[in-house]
Amino acid sequence: MSQSDLTMGTHLSVPERSSPFAMPSKKLAMWLFLIADAATFATCLVAYGFLRNGSLNWPTPFKFFPTVVNTMVMTFILVTSSLTMALGVRAAKMGDQDAAYRWTMLTAAGGSIFVLLHVHEWMDLIDEGVRLSRNPWGNALFGASFFTITGLHLIHVMAGIVVLIVVGLRCRGGRCDAGDVEITGLYWHFVNLVWMFVVPLVYLLNVSK
Amino acid sequence: MVLTNRQDDRGAPYGGNPGKYLLVYFGILVLAGLQFAIAYQQVNVTAALFRMFALAILEAGLMVVFFMRLGAENRPFVTWIAIVTLLVLTIMQSSWPDSYRMERDAPPNDRSPGYRTGPSQ
Amino acid sequence: MHDKSAHAARHRVPPTGFIRKYIFSTDHKVIGEQYYGLALAAVFIGMVLSWIMRIHLAWPAAAIPGMQLLSKNGAPGGVLTPEYYLQLMTMHGTIMVFFVLTTAPLAGFGNYFLPIQVGAEDMPFPRLNMLSFWVTFGAFLVAIAAFFVPQGPPLSGWTAYAPLSALGEVAGPGQGTGQVLWAVSIAIFCVGQLLGTLNFISATLDMRCQGMGLMRLPLTVWAWFITACISLTAFAVLMPACILLVLDHVAGTSFFVPSNLVVNDQLQPHAGGSTLLWQHLFWFFGHPEVYIAIVPAMGIVSHVLITNMRRPLLSHKAIIYSMVAIAFLSYMVYGHHMFVSGMNPYSSIAFSLPTLAITIPSTIMVLIWIGSLYGSKLRINTASLFALGFISMFVSGGITGFFLAQPSLDIMLHATYFVVGHFHLVMAVAALFGIFAGTYFWFPKVTGRMMNETLGKVHFWFTFVGAYCIFMPFHYLGMAGNVRRYQAFVDDFMAPLMPVHKFITIAALITGAAQLIFLYNLIHSRFWGELAPQNPWEGTSLEWSIPSPPPFDNFAGKLPVVYHDPYQYDIEGATNDYVMQDSPASINSVRGEK
Repeated sequence: MSQSDLTMGTHLSVPERSSPFAMPSKKLAMWLFLIADAATFATCLVAYGFLRNGSLNWPTPFKFFPTVVNTMVMTFILVTSSLTMALGVRAAKMGDQDAAYRWTMLTAAGGSIFVLLHVHEWMDLIDEGVRLSRNPWGNALFGASFFTITGLHLIHVMAGIVVLIVVGLRCRGGRCDAGDVEITGLYWHFVNLVWMFVVPLVYLLNVSK
Repeated sequence: MVLTNRQDDRGAPYGGNPGKYLLVYFGILVLAGLQFAIAYQQVNVTAALFRMFALAILEAGLMVVFFMRLGAENRPFVTWIAIVTLLVLTIMQSSWPDSYRMERDAPPNDRSPGYRTGPSQ
Repeated sequence: MHDKSAHAARHRVPPTGFIRKYIFSTDHKVIGEQYYGLALAAVFIGMVLSWIMRIHLAWPAAAIPGMQLLSKNGAPGGVLTPEYYLQLMTMHGTIMVFFVLTTAPLAGFGNYFLPIQVGAEDMPFPRLNMLSFWVTFGAFLVAIAAFFVPQGPPLSGWTAYAPLSALGEVAGPGQGTGQVLWAVSIAIFCVGQLLGTLNFISATLDMRCQGMGLMRLPLTVWAWFITACISLTAFAVLMPACILLVLDHVAGTSFFVPSNLVVNDQLQPHAGGSTLLWQHLFWFFGHPEVYIAIVPAMGIVSHVLITNMRRPLLSHKAIIYSMVAIAFLSYMVYGHHMFVSGMNPYSSIAFSLPTLAITIPSTIMVLIWIGSLYGSKLRINTASLFALGFISMFVSGGITGFFLAQPSLDIMLHATYFVVGHFHLVMAVAALFGIFAGTYFWFPKVTGRMMNETLGKVHFWFTFVGAYCIFMPFHYLGMAGNVRRYQAFVDDFMAPLMPVHKFITIAALITGAAQLIFLYNLIHSRFWGELAPQNPWEGTSLEWSIPSPPPFDNFAGKLPVVYHDPYQYDIEGATNDYVMQDSPASINSVRGEK
C-alpha cells in the first residue's frame, strides 16, 4: 500500500446529525427526571409495602365517609386535571396561545383544589391524633408511611402548580413556549400517575369494612 | 438557558379531534372507580392488592401512552425507557421475601403454625 | 429536518468577572475542574483519616499528635477511643466513596471531556450543571460539618446500617446530630448527581457534532454515558432512603427500627420497622455505586491504552456491550452485600447467580485489554503505566469476587478483612488508578503544560507496589479470621496477626506520603511545567484537535465535523501513523489488516 491510500477527499460519508430518540433535549431531560422520580416514589411505596406486609397490627381506619369519598373526589379532580393538561399541551403545540393559557390555568386550579382537599384531610387526621410517630389505631408506622408518601406526592403537586402558573402566564403574554408547556404536562401527568398507585396502596388497602 | 442542537421533535403531530383524550379520560375514571369497588369486596388483602394494582398499572399505562404521548415517541426511546424503568422497578421487589420474615427471623415455613399470627414477645 | 446552520455554534460571550468565570461558572470545563478539585481535597482528607486509623490499628495505645485538637472526647490525649476510630472510619468511607470515587471519574473528567469529545461547545443545560456542582459542594460541607458537632461524626460506617444509624445518641457518640448530618449530606449529594446525570445523558445523545455517530464516540464517552444511566436511578433510591432515616431521627418514626429493641440497657421507643429494609434500600443504590466508580475508569483506561498502543482494541463493540451488560447486571446483584445480614437464604441464591454472571463481561473486558496489549509497542509513560496498573488491580481485586459471590464462602469471609481488601483493590484503588491515568493523560490538555514524567513514574511505582503491600495482606488477614471494624486486635486470637498490621500501616504511610509527589507534580507542573503542544500523545479524538488549554467554547465558535471512527491508529500513508477524527482524509487500509 502506498501514499495513495490516504486521499484527501470530500466523498467521505458524514452521517447527518441525529438523535436516536428524536426529541428535544429538554423533553428528554424531563423524561429522565421522571424515571428517577419513579424510582424515588417506588422506593417509598416498596418500603411501605414491606413494612405493612410484615406487621401484624396494621390498622385499617379509613371510613367510607369522609376519607374514601374525599379520595374519590381528589382522584376525580386529578384525572380531570390531566385531561385539561393534555388539552393545554395540544393547544400550545397547535399555536393557540389563549387556549393554552386557559387550559393550563384550569389545570393549576384543579391542582389547587386537590391540595386544599388533601390538606384538609391531613388536618382531620392530625385532629384524630395521627402523627408521624403514633396514631390511635395501632402500628405506629401507619402514620409515618401515610404522611411520608402522601407528603412526597403533595410536594410534587404543589411544585407542579407553581410551574403551571409560571408557564401558563407566559402563554397569556404571547411568549408561550410549546416545549415548556409540553414538559410541564409530562411532569403533571406523571404526578397524577403516581396518585393512581398511592390511592389503592395507601388508602384503599386500609379502609375499614 | 438550554444549549442544545436538538430542538426538533419528530413525535406524532398534534391536531385532529381531541376526542381521543376524552375517551382515555373516561377510561381512567372507570378503572379508578373499579379500584374503589374492589376495596369493598370481601376478599383478603393480597387478592385486593393484586386486583387494584393491576388496575393501577392499566391506568398508568393509559396515562403514559396517551396523555404523556409515549406512544407517539420513536421506538428506540420507548424501548430504552421501558427497559430502564422496568428493570429498576422489578429488581426493587427483591426485598419482599424479607418482609415475610420480619416478625420472626426465620425463612417462610408453612409447617410452623402461627407463623403470621404469633409475634415473638 | 437538518439544521445546516448548526455547524456554527451559538455565539456565546465568555464571562469576564472573576465570580462568573471561576466560581459560579456555567462552563463545563470549569465545572469539571471544580469537581476534580473537590475530589482532590476530599481524597487527601480521606487519606489522612486512613493514616490515623492505620496508626491506631498497629499501635493502639499510641498518642497521635494533634488528634485531641480534632476531638477532645474522641481522642483524649491523642489516643483514639474505640468509638472515635469507628467515627473516622465512617467518614473515610463516606468521603472516599461519595466525594472522590463518584465526583472525580464521572463528574470531574466527564464534565470536562464529554462535551469536547462529542464535539459540542458545552453541556446542554449549563445552569443545571453549575447547580450540580454547588449542590454537591454543599453536601460535602454538610458531611464535613459532622466533625465539628459536639459528639462528632457518626460511627455506623459509610453504609449507615440500621438500627445503629436510626436510634440517635443512645446508640453511641455521633449517632445523633452526626448521623443526621450524614443522611442530609447524602440526600443533597443525590440531588446534585441527578442534575449532573441529566446533562451527561442528553449531551451524549443530543450534542454530538455532525458525523459523530454513536459508534464513533470514544470509549470514554460511552463509559460516562452508561455510568450516567446507572446513577440516574441509583441516587433516586438512596435519596428517599436517607430522608426516611432522617425522619427516624427527628420525627420519631421507626422505618428502620424493630420493636422491643434494647440498646445500652434502654428499651427503645420505636416499634414496627425493619433493619433489613435499610440494607435493601441502601444496597439497591450501593452496588450500582460501585460501577459508577469503576466504569468511567474502564473508559479512561481503554482510551489511554489505545492511544499509547497505537492501535484500537481487539473489539470496540465488545467493550461497549460489556459495559452495558455490567450496567444492566449491576442492579440485579445488590443482595450479595447482604449474605450475612439475615436476609432470606433463598434470596442469597438469587443474588449469587447474577453476581457470578457479572464476572463474564468484566472478564471479557480484561481479556480484550490484555489481548490488545499483546504484541503492541506500548508507549511507556505515566498514563499508560497507571492504565496497566488499573488492569492489574482490577484483576487482583476481581478474582476474590468469585469467592465472595458464593454465599457459602461469603459467610466465612464477609465480616473480615478479606472483604475490605477485595473492595479496596477492585473498586477503590482500581478507580483511583483510572483517575491517575486520566490525570497524567489529560493534564496537558487542561492546563497547557506537561506533567513531570520522572516524578510521575516514581509516583506510579510507589503507588503500585504500595497498594499491593497494603491490600494483599488484607486477604490473608481475612482468611486468618481477622474481623473488620474492630479498633484493636491486641487481646485475643488475633494478636499474632499484629505484625501484619504493622507492616500494612508502614506501607500505608509510605504510599500515602508518595501521593505528595503527585500533589507536588500537579501544582508545580500547573504553573512551571513544560509547555504542552496541542496533541502531545498523538491522540485522534476531538479533544486533541483544539488548543491546550481549550478556548471558552471549545471549538472557537465553529463545531467540528467528524469523518472517522475514534481510534484510527496504525494507518498506512498517514503523515504520522494516525488520522484524527475530524480529518477529512479517507482511509483505505490499515496496516494490521494486510
